[in-house]
Amino acid sequence: MPRSIHKGCDDFRQTSAGARERWLTPRLTRRQALMGALGGGLTIWSQQTMPWARVLEAASAQAAGAPGVRVLVSVFLPGGCDLLDTLPPLGAYGQYADLRGAMKLDAPPALGATGLGIHPSLTEGTGGGVKGLFDAGKVGFLPGIDYANPDLSHFHSRHFWETGLVTERAAPGWLGRWLDHHGSRENPLQGLTLASTLSPVLATSSAPVAALESPTDVALDVWGVGGLQERQMLDAWARLAGAHARGAGPQSVHTAARLAKSVGDRLRPYAPRQDGSDPLAPPVPYPDGDTLGERLSRVAALVAQPLGVRLAAVDSDSQFDTHDDQPRDLGDGLRSASQSLAAFQADLEARGIADRVLTLVWSEFGRRPRANESSGTDHGAGGIAWVQGTHAASGILTDYPSLTDFDSDDNLKVTVDFRKVYCSLIEGWLGTDAAEVIPNAGAYGRLALVR
Amino acid sequence: MSWTEAHVRRLFWRAGFGATPAEARGWAKRGRAATLDWVVDGPRGGARLRGPAPHLRGRRLDPADVWGDDVLWWVDRMIRTTYPLQEKLTLIWHDHFATAQQDTPLMLAQNRMLRRRALGSFRALLGDVTRDPAMQLFLSLADSTKDAPNENYARELMELFTLGSGYTERDVRAAARALTGFSSRYDHSGLVSIAYRPDQHDDGVKTLLGRRGRLGVDDVLDLVTAHRDHAPFLVAKLWSYFVATPPSAATVRGLSATYRRSGLQIKPLVRAILSHPALYANLDAPDLVKCPVVYLAGALRTTGTYLTQDYPTWMLHQMGQMPFDPPSVAGWDWRPAWMSSNAMCQRFALGNYVVTWGRPRVRRGSAPATLTPRQAFQRAWSAVGEPHVSTATRSTLEHLAKHFFDDLDPRWRDTAGWRGEALQATLRHLLLTCPESQLH
Repeated sequence: MPRSIHKGCDDFRQTSAGARERWLTPRLTRRQALMGALGGGLTIWSQQTMPWARVLEAASAQAAGAPGVRVLVSVFLPGGCDLLDTLPPLGAYGQYADLRGAMKLDAPPALGATGLGIHPSLTEGTGGGVKGLFDAGKVGFLPGIDYANPDLSHFHSRHFWETGLVTERAAPGWLGRWLDHHGSRENPLQGLTLASTLSPVLATSSAPVAALESPTDVALDVWGVGGLQERQMLDAWARLAGAHARGAGPQSVHTAARLAKSVGDRLRPYAPRQDGSDPLAPPVPYPDGDTLGERLSRVAALVAQPLGVRLAAVDSDSQFDTHDDQPRDLGDGLRSASQSLAAFQADLEARGIADRVLTLVWSEFGRRPRANESSGTDHGAGGIAWVQGTHAASGILTDYPSLTDFDSDDNLKVTVDFRKVYCSLIEGWLGTDAAEVIPNAGAYGRLALVR
Repeated sequence: MSWTEAHVRRLFWRAGFGATPAEARGWAKRGRAATLDWVVDGPRGGARLRGPAPHLRGRRLDPADVWGDDVLWWVDRMIRTTYPLQEKLTLIWHDHFATAQQDTPLMLAQNRMLRRRALGSFRALLGDVTRDPAMQLFLSLADSTKDAPNENYARELMELFTLGSGYTERDVRAAARALTGFSSRYDHSGLVSIAYRPDQHDDGVKTLLGRRGRLGVDDVLDLVTAHRDHAPFLVAKLWSYFVATPPSAATVRGLSATYRRSGLQIKPLVRAILSHPALYANLDAPDLVKCPVVYLAGALRTTGTYLTQDYPTWMLHQMGQMPFDPPSVAGWDWRPAWMSSNAMCQRFALGNYVVTWGRPRVRRGSAPATLTPRQAFQRAWSAVGEPHVSTATRSTLEHLAKHFFDDLDPRWRDTAGWRGEALQATLRHLLLTCPESQLH
């Protein structure tokens, strides 16, 4: 099928070729530039090969140089999260019920005096889940978020959100570009993706970044061999790796063999112990077997270490593309998000680092207000995002879209451009000029997202 | 030149995916000329697949529709083919004419074309590659029209596929115009066809590499392959897949002459490289890093292991060489770039899968703890296909075998079969993954 051409406001039609290249040139996003990968659980994207010792050195140097530095965490809910069921408009419940028919939420809990309700799943988790955080003044919701002339393709829309650019062309991520301007040239742990591959949000042009699924899978491991025999095996490996090698190929092999062992050894402090205890174990309970929660718990643990983490990206494992059976699927996805995010916040507070972490939760678009025939909703516009943290502005921070006045495709009218949120976070939280990262930044206005 | 098992092993690894012990012994006896003929020409009647077809827990492969099965389908061919050089060249052409991010049926069709053309005329291969739908879509040759010629394919054609140097930006632009005319047609279910439409072709006069005229697609391909820089370029590129040390200027001249004399045939050039003394240097110290595909397929082929699991797909991804998905049009980064501590960690992990599910698995009761260190080593070495091992490696592993029972009371040795089996698993794992086995 011919690719549908995005007819929206392509930022780049208005600019010169030189300006386009400046924003678009992705270097480390090309897998060709993937080098210096370290350890099974940790992959580094960098323009230079980085010996492991130097990574740790650079990480602790950066952390020591700027203690208490602010951290921004991006949490992505993939598939297009529905606004109407996430924050049902109690003030317009009749219209909501007409649009949603049998799949409507019957008596959603009210969100204070905002005139909005909240999906019951968002009350689950430590301290009442995301609703509990809202009640405590630690969550600011952004209903109606999207961009003008929304593109309803997952691929396109996600790409726009990831890059902060409404263009189909390849580009570094918006947080990656921030690191290109303000990050370290040395420390890949400054931009951490909790996954086995780099999040496009954190793809950079030049600054090194890292992806980490788990710091526990880096050991050289022979299945079923432990204890004394494992140590003997590793000693044998060290001898094999240390053998004299002549020529570029053999030398690269022996160096890699030595490094593989030393990475396993160096990350051992973060790996689970023989007795089953986990040094990265969170001080608070997380939901059982929830991947999002697990990844967030590692973010909290690694932010608490002197590793110089500035930005982190985490994806939810749930599917928010609820074309059918939305009551079940959205309920499951929001429950996982609520339990995981509430645990994450409690974790940060227990570790005493909550004041320097702000989290942005987002999804690539919203959903059609009128339900379809399969108890689901189709791709729409005007979605939902929120900021979370002890320094997050709280409340309903943007206008809730009208349920009577739709756009020409029967979708909600967008009330806030996601780039306005990006600019506000860059300036309000990271404290730098948004125009370096978002083209035409002056045009979007700002929201007070930080207090 | 003498012809030993070490020669056979070197040739079989470089030209394919390793030699089994029986192959090493058999071809060492038959001699150099017979071995080279068999390796280069393949069996009479063409390639066949030997041994059991893959069954993944009872499931047959579905390369076009199941994610990852395309990779398994190809790895299976590498393990079972009677003509390994053909698969090796197919892999080399996939790297040379790197194509990615296209529909799997198109990628599989391209793969079959590369295999069919692997050892024939380079000009014919280039013609098919230029008209290949996956390539045309990847490098924007499809729908490059006289009104909007796209330079993408024209540029890579000269820079990466045929010349490397000796052309100008003007040549790129002229070639792009001469290559216009291919049009894609889609319907609701996807690509229907890519056809050459003369009305979309720029039939104006162009000047390309010094030739002036109303040049078309085949004129471009004829001109780039007739260019004096083409033969040395292709010779050096092909050589680099087989030999670690770069060829001397004289070697390049000689091989270029062979290639040109044959009318740009691939097989005589490959035969000359595989016969070259440089390929057999340092038989006791292999110096070429195995790429992940060759490391994995070779470990399975030389141990007599057939596909019953899907781990090769994601292991290849983690080791950095996912077939059908090269990182860019320049293909993969070869040589020492394959190696990093992460890649080595993944290559080490492969040992677990081969020793757990492959032919080298340790059978219960097969390895008593009472074996001497030498016997234990010998048994492990046989189980993994008698790979080349230096005396230093051998003594390190025998040392490990000697001390593997240190924490057990000697009186228990008779009943410590489980520990003997753990030793076998460890030795086999290390033999399959040690630094030496990353080289060929």
